[in-house]
Amino acid sequence: MTILQVSNVTGGYTRKPVIKNLSFTIEKGELVGLIGLNGAGKSTTIKHIIGTLLPQDGEIRLNGVTLKENMDNYRKSFSYIPETPILYDELTLKEHLELTAMAYGLDEKTLKERSDFLLKEFRMEKRLNWFPSHFSKGMRQKVMIMCAFLINPPLYIIDEPFVGLDPLGIQSLLEQMDAKKQEGASILMSTHILSTAEKYCDRIILLHEGRVRAQGTMDDLRAAFNMPNASLDDLYIAMTKEQDNEQHA
Amino acid sequence: MNNMHNIWKERFLHYVNEVQKYMRFIVTGHIAIVFVFVAGAAGYQYSEWLKVAPASFPAEWLVAAVVGILLAFSRPTTLIREPDQVYLLPLETQMPAYFKKAVKWTFWSQLIIPAVVYIVAIPLLNTVTELSSQQVWLGLAFIIILKYLNVVIEFNYRFANRGQAIAIDRLARGVLSILAIETALTSSIYVAAIYLVLFFAYKMSLQKRTAGQPVPYEHFVRLEQNRMLRFYRFANYFTDVPHLRGTIRHRAWLDSVYKWIPFARKNTQLYLVFRTFIRTDDHFYLWVRLTAIAAIITAFVDIAIVAWIVVAALAFATTLQLKVALLSNSEFRMDMLFPIAPTQRSQAVEKLLRITSVVQAIIVTLCAMMQPYFYVIPVIVIIVSELTLRLSKK
Repeated sequence: MTILQVSNVTGGYTRKPVIKNLSFTIEKGELVGLIGLNGAGKSTTIKHIIGTLLPQDGEIRLNGVTLKENMDNYRKSFSYIPETPILYDELTLKEHLELTAMAYGLDEKTLKERSDFLLKEFRMEKRLNWFPSHFSKGMRQKVMIMCAFLINPPLYIIDEPFVGLDPLGIQSLLEQMDAKKQEGASILMSTHILSTAEKYCDRIILLHEGRVRAQGTMDDLRAAFNMPNASLDDLYIAMTKEQDNEQHA
Repeated sequence: MNNMHNIWKERFLHYVNEVQKYMRFIVTGHIAIVFVFVAGAAGYQYSEWLKVAPASFPAEWLVAAVVGILLAFSRPTTLIREPDQVYLLPLETQMPAYFKKAVKWTFWSQLIIPAVVYIVAIPLLNTVTELSSQQVWLGLAFIIILKYLNVVIEFNYRFANRGQAIAIDRLARGVLSILAIETALTSSIYVAAIYLVLFFAYKMSLQKRTAGQPVPYEHFVRLEQNRMLRFYRFANYFTDVPHLRGTIRHRAWLDSVYKWIPFARKNTQLYLVFRTFIRTDDHFYLWVRLTAIAAIITAFVDIAIVAWIVVAALAFATTLQLKVALLSNSEFRMDMLFPIAPTQRSQAVEKLLRITSVVQAIIVTLCAMMQPYFYVIPVIVIIVSELTLRLSKK
């Protein structure tokens, strides 16, 4: 079953498009890596999916609906962890969880069960009544992660998740991602850390200059580049070089 | 030399632009109207009081004290910036040309405050003292000279001592300035000139000490940053200064307020907006400040129509400014992704502002209990707030 369907999307901040004719899908229970250099269009793609930017052309379907058709259903179907944590300075950790639970229609019992588990998993139980100004970068990231996992959506959109987290935090996040996958959720993760992407992602989308350069499993990619046994790093460098050669030719 | 001239010019233009950008909002802001009212009322009271002012009133001392204290605060405006510590280092020997311009600007830009205070006091001096008008205007000229000396001395003191123990320098200059003005107004301007000699000697000794000292960049940078921060804080009362992040305070004593908001999806924005208002200093103190001004004015003004106008203007300013502040979408917030109705935020803000206007009405009315027709005041506050909510743009 397809959870996310991006069809021929062109878009950006201004008239000049950053992403061009982008198409890909994410199936139920899949972990998909969105890989690209700085400026390749990863964040822009994510902004279109979460609906803060609207496509100039093309269509994005999440759980069967577009944002326009059914805003509530669309927004309920995903949770988003931004690259830099975006918190409310005026809310405590506990209030961040409560606010999120309210917005997504969780009852108080479910909130209690899920937040107790997440707080323990991310070792934040003792910081429930703290304000974000007292949190380190990693703790802020953990608040975002906990809010995202609290609502149990069919799709998780995670932008550069590993920056700023300590090794235990990374481990907890990977475990949680795996657990959600087992339960049938899908994950779209953008990252620069290619070794982790290679190890954990079911499929990879290589983004280059706003276009999908290649996509598929590691084996698909190796076949496409005709480089058996290559790592994702090798494939990536080969792709950028190929692009350069094309430009110079 | 030419080089330094250009650097100053560039700095100055940039500074003027920055100040102008916010002055527009300050001058056109709602509080400006209140200031005009307050100034008008104060002027009226002052002229009424002059009619009955006793001849024994110590006008010279009062003027000397107020102007003297103002003169002691002559903080230099150098427009020095943080990167200067690195980039202007090779130009160290040319810096005196730059600072000369800075001192000049400091003098002209700050002169207006003591001068205006003195000019406002002239009717008082004419009423209760025997001074001839020539003496009164000579007094103003004397204050201008004193201001110049104060500016130059404070700059040199800060340069020589990196701002350490500036309070002692200010105290000394303040006392000297007060005595000098008092002497100029009561004895003769020629006797007062002795004080100028003292100031001059102090200036020369400081200037000697600054010679050969490196520019105290760190001190001047801190001074400039604090000055701009004060300006931005002030401007923030009138408009939204983007790079000024408001301080957050828990205000635990208000935690019980949140109990009135039940846990439900339709209350998501209420949950957030109440906490944002109570815990953000900018929002909370805006309300406290405007409510306090309204309360104090209604407590003391016994002309009902004036009290009504002030209360209405302040209720309008409170509601409008809080609405704009709470509905600003300039920064991305996570609640923009929430699966809730997009109108929920504005409905929550309206509910909050209705409550704050009722509380404001109660406080102001309680303070106005001793005045005629005080019972009209809550009606005005609530109606003006409601109309502001409904008629201002979303």
